[in-house]
Amino acid sequence: MDEEYDVIVLGTGLKECILSGIMSVNGKKVLHMDRNPYYGGESASITPLEDLFKRFKVAGNPPESMGRGRDWNVDLIPKFLMANGQLVKMLLYTEVTRYLDFKVVEGSFVYKAGKIHKVPSTETEALASDLMGMFEKRRFRKFLIFVVGFDEHDPKTNQGVEPRKTTMREVYKKFDLGQEVIDFTGHALALYRTDDYLDQPCLDTINRIKLYSESLARYSKSPYLYPLYGLGELPQGFARLSAIYGGTYMLNKPVDEIVYEKGRVVGVKSEGETARCKQLICDPSYVPNLVKKVGKVIRVICILSHPIKNTNDCNSCQIIIPQMQVNRKSDIYVCIVSYAHNVAAEGKYIAIVSTTVETNNPEKEVQPALELLDPIDKSFVSISDLYQPTDDGQTSQVFISSSYDATTHFETTCDDIKSIYKRMTGTDFDFENMKRKQNDVFGDDAQ
Amino acid sequence: MDRTAGAKRRGPGGGGEGLSSNSRSLSANSLPVAGGASPKPSPASSRRRRQPPRPADYKLQVIIIGSRGVGKTSLMERFTDDTFSEACKSTVGVDFKIKTIELRGKKIRLQIWDTAGQERFNSITSAYYRSAKGIVLVYDITKKETFEDVPKWMKMIDKYASEDAELLLVGNKLDCEVDRAISRQQGEKFALQVTGMRFCEASAKDNYNVNEIFLKLVDDILNKLPDIPRRELSNSILSLQPEPEIPPELPPLRQNVRCC
Repeated sequence: MDEEYDVIVLGTGLKECILSGIMSVNGKKVLHMDRNPYYGGESASITPLEDLFKRFKVAGNPPESMGRGRDWNVDLIPKFLMANGQLVKMLLYTEVTRYLDFKVVEGSFVYKAGKIHKVPSTETEALASDLMGMFEKRRFRKFLIFVVGFDEHDPKTNQGVEPRKTTMREVYKKFDLGQEVIDFTGHALALYRTDDYLDQPCLDTINRIKLYSESLARYSKSPYLYPLYGLGELPQGFARLSAIYGGTYMLNKPVDEIVYEKGRVVGVKSEGETARCKQLICDPSYVPNLVKKVGKVIRVICILSHPIKNTNDCNSCQIIIPQMQVNRKSDIYVCIVSYAHNVAAEGKYIAIVSTTVETNNPEKEVQPALELLDPIDKSFVSISDLYQPTDDGQTSQVFISSSYDATTHFETTCDDIKSIYKRMTGTDFDFENMKRKQNDVFGDDAQ
Repeated sequence: MDRTAGAKRRGPGGGGEGLSSNSRSLSANSLPVAGGASPKPSPASSRRRRQPPRPADYKLQVIIIGSRGVGKTSLMERFTDDTFSEACKSTVGVDFKIKTIELRGKKIRLQIWDTAGQERFNSITSAYYRSAKGIVLVYDITKKETFEDVPKWMKMIDKYASEDAELLLVGNKLDCEVDRAISRQQGEKFALQVTGMRFCEASAKDNYNVNEIFLKLVDDILNKLPDIPRRELSNSILSLQPEPEIPPELPPLRQNVRCC
């Protein structure tokens, strides 16, 4: 330590690692620390299984039936990557894809009237689906063609709809869509967790449906990708990028104090040493006095020895339980992955249920989801507070990320990264800024 | 030093041609390798020089680990570029180096990964170990601490590396015999405890045993692989961007976007 850096980053969660990578690639001298002995912070994948048991204070060792501990990499926060989304774009621009392998998630399912139904991903599936009646399908198809062709800069495509004025409720009315179709569109395609969007301008919804459709078009089975060995591989990939471009990494490093002078950060104290910096990035856990609680999320990690019923034995899938189906304010999601992704022992599945906490009995709230997973070998419950920064960093030059929310993919994660980037540099984020600035692969290229 | 670390890691390694799998010292003369250390063009290819190069039969990932300053980058650079630099700088700016070699009539594209300096504070990612088919664990024969660190590296290997990965323990800086602090026997003894781990001493500076290290490692790896002409990823695994040479553009979207 004991040096001067441009940026010090505290916590190796995904957001912090991506920002660290961007800073290093752009020539900043970065020191990246984490109090944990592992990478990933809140977005880590826990390995071996014994460590998961320890973390959740389960006495004793995992049973032999769960196979070898080292075969497990269990995500703490369940999410999938949209194939055409911002995180994939970041991976491509930075070429962190070199360090990762992905699989397409095999399907997405939506809960309706006590049963789960496959969200169609092909014409054939759409025709056969009982999620909508025949006439509804016709009207829905017209609506979809409209959305996919919609260009906010070309009024000719708008059919009279004003992207920043016309509400989504009005758009649905225009296409004569019934309640079932509206629920399906909002929650299974646009992936909203509530119905608040209905009375907002339609542009955001249209873009969300486009994102779903474009992501689905890439690999056909579903719009989602998942990295082998778990989501924890993502922060590690970006950390490596940062290290290649000069970033210094220190795990197992407790942070004692953030040092300020005249209201501005000047450094970090750790175990008797001080490192100086011009700017600081961190996750909420390093600055409890600079964040406010904005909600709670319950996540239940379930170990299963079978695929989910009625998913045609998918080895990975997503289940959406829209709020109106279970009398709630926000949707419940279940993300399922398995041994096929090198995150569990042979024959085992990991299903993570997550949702925003709305009552005093969060475990009761997720019952409808847990019932879909029966029988569950073992479950681990966590109820986490969600934090947002109260300081935007303009004066202090301390830039704090928000907690990972309950959404099912990484779009809000990327939005937060872009927001922090803008607060730090004063310029809008541009994917071009993420490109590696020099060649770091050498040797003969004789194929 | 924790002597039990890494013992009985997995089944015996390759080397069925009369070389035992335990702690084999390598010397320049004992390799069953055709064609020597560097790829020699066959008569056929020098006739048809305008043909595009034949794609590699195998693409293998090898990682080099070990404490700071033992000579990981030097060993790699001696092998890939045949260069050596006295300056001991923490490596910045190298993701990996590629070297194509011919072994057993097969063309092998070797991808040798650098630690990117993350070993400095014991912060190498677990992901670094994952896809490695071969692991070169280096210590400095003149610095005792670097040998005492070896069990620590073995712990990481046991935790995160594939069980099929071939292991090679290398005592580097043989050119500094006068300052030797670790005897050859000590190195051999350690490797003997780990099933299938080979051992040798080398000098990146004097270019002694460097080629042999990598070629023997590849030879051991090939021994274990099925004899198929092209190694392909399972159909269901996506690399998003298979080769670093491809520019970061998203593949074009299909015209007729299909949806529900």
